Amino acid sequence: MEQSSLARRTSKNTKQLALWTGLWLVSLALVAFGPTLLWDYHKVMSVIAICVNLLMGVKMIMANKHHLEGLDELQQRIHLEAMALSLGCSMVFGAVYGLLDAVKLFDDVSNPANGLFVNPSNILFVMGLTYGLGMFLAHRKYA
Amino acid sequence: MKNRLKVLRAERDWTQADLAQRLDVSRQTIVAIEKGKYDPSLTLAFKTARLFDQAIEAIFLDETDQ
Repeated sequence: MEQSSLARRTSKNTKQLALWTGLWLVSLALVAFGPTLLWDYHKVMSVIAICVNLLMGVKMIMANKHHLEGLDELQQRIHLEAMALSLGCSMVFGAVYGLLDAVKLFDDVSNPANGLFVNPSNILFVMGLTYGLGMFLAHRKYA
Repeated sequence: MKNRLKVLRAERDWTQADLAQRLDVSRQTIVAIEKGKYDPSLTLAFKTARLFDQAIEAIFLDETDQ
């Protein structure tokens, strides 16, 4: 059977999203490891790397928006439900997470075991995991 | 909301994938609509009505009317 307009559109948009996400990740790695491995903490180089990373981030966000707009209405709803779960959980988790240091639950952050808990990037894991869970639940709901 | 999508599709000997392609939606959307798990937007309902050359209310049945 001939590939539908939706399938062609989704395939094209997914490739674009993968491309910009990949470039964003590479530029993020450059910001993280460039100062130590490539330019010995030269400030101008670090600022350029950050600017490139932000630019890639904007392109990735636009690609994601374009990808979502290209989906059909049920697929958009599935993503909406997953985003609602992800945003809600990230907000609840992030709010209490910001208080961990204030209530001195993990006051010795130099301890690697505690440092693992107070790493702010953990919120990204919560966001990713809950988004994945939301997608699974919404797909099952409409299956 | 109930609908006659499955019957209309069967009358034309179309698969869910055939109908999905004609309406430019995913097969998952057709499955969800046929099972009554998802109510289509007005735009998709009009598109469906045009495809089957029928009135919207002849395809989609509002259960609150019954």
